[in-house]
Amino acid sequence: MNQFTFEAKQKTVLTGFMILGLVCLAITFFTDDALHTRFWTNYLHNTVFFTGIALMSLFIMAAFTTAWAGWYVGMKRIWEAYSMFLIPGLGLLLVVILGLWGHLHHLYHWADAEEVAQDAVLTGKASFLNKSWYTFGTLIIVGMWIFFAYKIRQISIDEDANGKGFADNFRHHRRIRVFSAIFLPIAGFSSAAMIWQWIMSVDAHWYSTMFAWYTGASWFVAAMALTILLLIYLKGLGYFEHITQDHLHDLGKFLFAFSVFWTYLWFSQYMLIWYANVGEETVYFFERMQNYKFLFFANLVINFALPFLVLMRNDNKRKNGPMVFAAIMVFVGHWLDFFLMIKPGTRHTAMEALGGHGDHAEHAISFAMGYTIPGLLEIGTMLGFLAFFFYVALNQLTKASLVPKNDPYIKEATHHHVWPYIE
Amino acid sequence: MNQHKEVLYGLYDDEEVLLKAVRKAKSDHLDIMDVFSPFPVHGLDDALELTESRLHITGFIFGAIGTLTAFLFMTWVFTRDWPIIFGGKPYFSAPAFIPITFELTVLFASIGMVVTFYTICGMGPGVTNPTLDDRITDDKFCIAFDVTGAEAKQVDKLRAFLSSTGAGEVNAKEI
Repeated sequence: MNQFTFEAKQKTVLTGFMILGLVCLAITFFTDDALHTRFWTNYLHNTVFFTGIALMSLFIMAAFTTAWAGWYVGMKRIWEAYSMFLIPGLGLLLVVILGLWGHLHHLYHWADAEEVAQDAVLTGKASFLNKSWYTFGTLIIVGMWIFFAYKIRQISIDEDANGKGFADNFRHHRRIRVFSAIFLPIAGFSSAAMIWQWIMSVDAHWYSTMFAWYTGASWFVAAMALTILLLIYLKGLGYFEHITQDHLHDLGKFLFAFSVFWTYLWFSQYMLIWYANVGEETVYFFERMQNYKFLFFANLVINFALPFLVLMRNDNKRKNGPMVFAAIMVFVGHWLDFFLMIKPGTRHTAMEALGGHGDHAEHAISFAMGYTIPGLLEIGTMLGFLAFFFYVALNQLTKASLVPKNDPYIKEATHHHVWPYIE
Repeated sequence: MNQHKEVLYGLYDDEEVLLKAVRKAKSDHLDIMDVFSPFPVHGLDDALELTESRLHITGFIFGAIGTLTAFLFMTWVFTRDWPIIFGGKPYFSAPAFIPITFELTVLFASIGMVVTFYTICGMGPGVTNPTLDDRITDDKFCIAFDVTGAEAKQVDKLRAFLSSTGAGEVNAKEI
């Protein structure tokens, strides 16, 4: 089966989860503090997480194309479909932007003009951390990503429909490669700027030069995990017959390698700050190790130890069971990672605005469901966003043949072998 | 160290012919001693029914030894043997130990695997490796049978097999 049909049952299930997500968001909104901090942090957390996964899907595809890789083209429709989530992602971000201008939320300390005026650090950062930069940066940069995602997908589908012979197919492929090569440096630099704006600036005083890489790696691993899960699911339904355990093996290597890469970045950021022991820098980790101890260490166990030990063996990367287990763990782990990036900073901002802890008191703050650990509402919201993501992606999958039959590398991809031994 | 061996071998010109011959030998239940080729032949491991190498398991064990060696040694040095305060940190500072732990893990795993590999293959300084024919490092593909102490009838059967499957040259040699 080369043509994907989005069945009514799948639509019902995904819609059900989307409604669950909306209900959870609504409950959070009405049971929240005066600033609706829990609601807005959940919203920002999931929006940024899934938009980033869409960006990384496009990035993966662009990087592979530029590297003349052939093995992945049999599954490139999945990444094309994922990258299309950038469009609803921008829509979701617009809500955050509206909230920023309408003072509907208090996510960002730097958005408060009075606070900035009395604060030397924030005044110094005001040329970057301001509402205009946030708004137009998001619009222009995500707009650019959408342009490239749309363009690459358009050429790829056109190649399928109108490719006339090898020379013409290769001409299509070369155009994709030109767009990919232009996109890569743009994505590299612009994603860093957006990560600083969206995520790092919730701790407005703090900064780390490793942060953008670290967050990007987190997105990358999450995107890989979702790719593996969707592929195994669709293969179980009888689609993607041309994707073999050899392709799964390579995806497993990526999941393994980038989990280790993420850990490397996590540790590099942590160790330099720990060693230098400068107060402005250590505050980030101090806060998390004091008040979010469980999540802080669980983050490392789930995102490093588990995939490292599960995926180390060659044959585990070729079995559906261990791969699904590792992919789910790592996906949840990186969702928690983003939770840990966003919640502590916004919680402090909100507490200051609500009148408590105005003196930056660095003592243990009380346990709070939805902050110290994710509560049921957070999990429900995540499932809602996940369903939305898959709804968009599966809807996009119906729009083109699952096998890009005119891609010059499709033969190489179908004959991909990485395992010389008998299973 | 090595036993004295009598070897009957056939030289092939083409890897496709070689692959066919190997598959036929397997279906005829002939016991191939080894196959030599100037470059890796796709599908040869499969045709020879080789199983996955277990070398990487030794890699994991050596790596784990490296991890423990580095971490425990540094812990002993900085807490028991010669405690010094660096940058106001406690004596036992796990984050500071991680980079060296990582490096020793890699070092132990790689050196351990090299030594294991050389030991298993009987290679090392001063060891000469007998070659059946110099051309198998150049442009010939070779299937070798161990015929030490075999009956003449069996040797003839193997000889007939080699020439019937397309070996351009069939020789016997003692190594």
